[in-house]
Amino acid sequence: MSTTLTKTHKKALIERLNVFTAFGLGILCAVVAWKLSLALLPQDSEAAPLFTREDKITLISMIAWFVGFMTGIGALIAPFRWALGKDLSHDENMYYAGKDLGVKRYFKFTTDHKVVGIQYLVITMVIFGIGGILAMLIRTNLGTPEGGWIHPQAYNSIVGTHGIIMIVGTIIMVTGPFGNYIMPIMIGARDMAYPRLNALSFWLIVAASIPLIWGQFIGGISTGWSAYNPLAGQAPLGMNGYIMFICIFAISTMVAGANITTTVVKMRARGMTWNRTPIFIYGTVASVALALPAFPVFFLSQVMSGMDRALGTSFYDTARGGSGWLYENLFWLMGHPEVYVILIPAVAALMEMAPVFTRRPLFSFNVAVMGIAGISGLSILVWAHHMYMSGWAPLLNAPFMLTTELISIPTGMLFLVLVGTLWRGRLWMTVPLMSIMALLWNFMIGGITGIYLSDVPADAFLHGSMFVTAHFHYTLMGAGLTGAIASLVYWFPKMTGRMLDKKLSWISFWLVQIGFNVAFIGMFIVGLQGQPRRVEAYAAIFNRGNLITTIGAYTIMIGMLILLQNVISSWRSGQKAPMNPWQAKTLEWTVPNPVPLENFAELPVVTSDAYGYGRKN
Amino acid sequence: MTNLQTPSTNSWWKKQDVKRLLVLTAIFSILIGYIGSTVQTWAMGAPASDSMQNVINLITIFTWVSSPVAGFVAAIAVSALLGKHHYGDNPPPEADHAISNSPRANAAWIVVSALLCLFALVAGLVALQEEDSQILNSNAMRISVTGQQWVWNFDYPNSKGVRSNVLHLPVDQPVVFNVTSKDVKHSFWIVQMGIKVDANPGVITQTAVTPNTIGVFDLRCAELCGLLHAYMQNKVIVESRADYEAWLASQPDTSQTTWVDKNPKPEDQGGKTA
Repeated sequence: MSTTLTKTHKKALIERLNVFTAFGLGILCAVVAWKLSLALLPQDSEAAPLFTREDKITLISMIAWFVGFMTGIGALIAPFRWALGKDLSHDENMYYAGKDLGVKRYFKFTTDHKVVGIQYLVITMVIFGIGGILAMLIRTNLGTPEGGWIHPQAYNSIVGTHGIIMIVGTIIMVTGPFGNYIMPIMIGARDMAYPRLNALSFWLIVAASIPLIWGQFIGGISTGWSAYNPLAGQAPLGMNGYIMFICIFAISTMVAGANITTTVVKMRARGMTWNRTPIFIYGTVASVALALPAFPVFFLSQVMSGMDRALGTSFYDTARGGSGWLYENLFWLMGHPEVYVILIPAVAALMEMAPVFTRRPLFSFNVAVMGIAGISGLSILVWAHHMYMSGWAPLLNAPFMLTTELISIPTGMLFLVLVGTLWRGRLWMTVPLMSIMALLWNFMIGGITGIYLSDVPADAFLHGSMFVTAHFHYTLMGAGLTGAIASLVYWFPKMTGRMLDKKLSWISFWLVQIGFNVAFIGMFIVGLQGQPRRVEAYAAIFNRGNLITTIGAYTIMIGMLILLQNVISSWRSGQKAPMNPWQAKTLEWTVPNPVPLENFAELPVVTSDAYGYGRKN
Repeated sequence: MTNLQTPSTNSWWKKQDVKRLLVLTAIFSILIGYIGSTVQTWAMGAPASDSMQNVINLITIFTWVSSPVAGFVAAIAVSALLGKHHYGDNPPPEADHAISNSPRANAAWIVVSALLCLFALVAGLVALQEEDSQILNSNAMRISVTGQQWVWNFDYPNSKGVRSNVLHLPVDQPVVFNVTSKDVKHSFWIVQMGIKVDANPGVITQTAVTPNTIGVFDLRCAELCGLLHAYMQNKVIVESRADYEAWLASQPDTSQTTWVDKNPKPEDQGGKTA
């Protein structure tokens, strides 16, 4: 323990703060704000739209929770000390980094990127757990045509919560755990460029999650994850939970994006030129850099949505001069780059693994970079393909069809890199390698169905149907989640010092992949037959397809539970991992297990790229 | 097999694994195109308008156009899986070569994918042009569609103010739908006719179709619109001109009934209504 901290008799403030004080202060602030606003806010006048006062009270309490939580976790100490002109001492900074704190550091505002990576890994698993339970509720309800045992209001809320929570889970599933834990070591850095922002980005997600859960108990999010207005204006108070959740999560994403981008640009090891930077780094940077323009727009759209509810403004109210199309534009300005925020790092992670498990160089590194750059660039120009049928601007349908279909070219480049690497390689039959095969299969189906949807006349039939739902599950889950699980298998030895159990990994891999394809092929069929999205009951002709989907979904659930069991048991008592179990050539495998606090005793110097496999002849 | 080690003496397309790849690509392309388009056509069912026929044609074309790419990728994956394997905890020996790029393969791939993309775009634009021109048809009958939570209302032209919840259409008559909503966003979708447009409060959007089959079809709301969204569906009855006129004449005059507020209050137009 540092001398400056032990000199005083009582514990210093930063030693006292942890997740429990954060929850305590957050709840206290929320209750006080709730009582105060209940007592002080004037009653609504007769002319005011309904709910305004209740919306104000809910939003004020949630903001108070947010401020209380962030104060209680200790996020404000360093800026406060800086404002007083007393910067943190070296010892205090080491304390913040979690030096000699053991398990306690995972429950504090710890700046070490490895701690943040593990925190992200755990919260991603929790999010997928909750989202998965909601998915099973949906599929169980849809097992029979007449809807059934879930009330329509609750059903709509489950669909909306499943949507938003899974979107958030998939956004952080690669760049959170692996972007934070692995990326700095992979580029030969001792930590991120802004370690405190790194801790901030994680704890903001925890702070954001509470309003979302809170919202479930005050009416739920009955609008679907897209929360279109004016439906969102009409929705119960739970909508405020969605609004606060998005606002805080958007800050977290922007902070993380700025941090990761700066780290990669400024902190790569000596000699790591852009040509020698691993492809996973490109994927991570492209993902978080795309989030930088996307999430402020999302933030703004929700602020305006909240003002419409709580302050009686009319940004989205047609009758009073607003427009629902404004919301749709703002939402999809975030919404389309966001799917590539999810997809690119997962594909890049698999491209990182392809050379390791085929023992040959990555095929056409430059084409891979071009593909990632091309997708990123085009993805901010395609948002209105979600609005072909909205009637907003029929004349813009053709240009948006052009930009959307152009994306198939850089996407094809990613396929070329993967198949080029597989070609004549010697396959090392492991879960990451088979995940590459699964990605090729799933992403091919997801990509081709995307071409149907990008076409305006075909979209006139397919838009808003289960076909769309199946399509984006194929891309986000079939491609994205497959890449994330492969990353978990691949980097688990470095992150935990133990190997994942091979047999259980294989069982869960096959169950998830088979279940996934059964579930969503069935969903494609009911979509083509004409079943709309987000319905809790359907006509008899969709019966068989929905039953197939439900059976597939249960198979996925069993596979995911086995994966969870595997992670828990291997983490506790798995086989000890060697330093470099896959004999890979990137820098993260050159540091010992467990990774020392500052990663490298001596910063490495890079003299070649990381893909020097294969015999030169 | 020694040929494999001396590529300079042999053209690349004569190598055994390349030949196998080409054969596999051809087989997979045909299989994917055939199975894909057959299942899709079966699932979408019989079309009830030229617009729906267009949709089916487009989806079939896209399936066949993308099947060579999918077939090629599948062929490489299968060749790799049929090729050299390695099991165990330690990595296999490294590959016999260190080929990390092939400008020729890159160029070929990018050119082919760009051409396929261009083809898909042109096919789509041609179909889009046909669809859009239907709205301008001056002979079309104009039906007003009003969505509200959770029912569709149809107002017919050349009638004494007939309003219905079940849509009746005369066969082979071009129709333009003027679609709007009384509360939140809905989406007007006649499934077997392949048309859809959102119903927005305070705005009129348009879509057009010419039904070409007599029968009963499905109308569904395709945009989540609240509690009973799943039940916001009804029938579309396409009948002969004579049957349609007879039905229209049999309907009560509702023009004096106050279905629609002539001077709507702001709350009714998308403001908060509990």
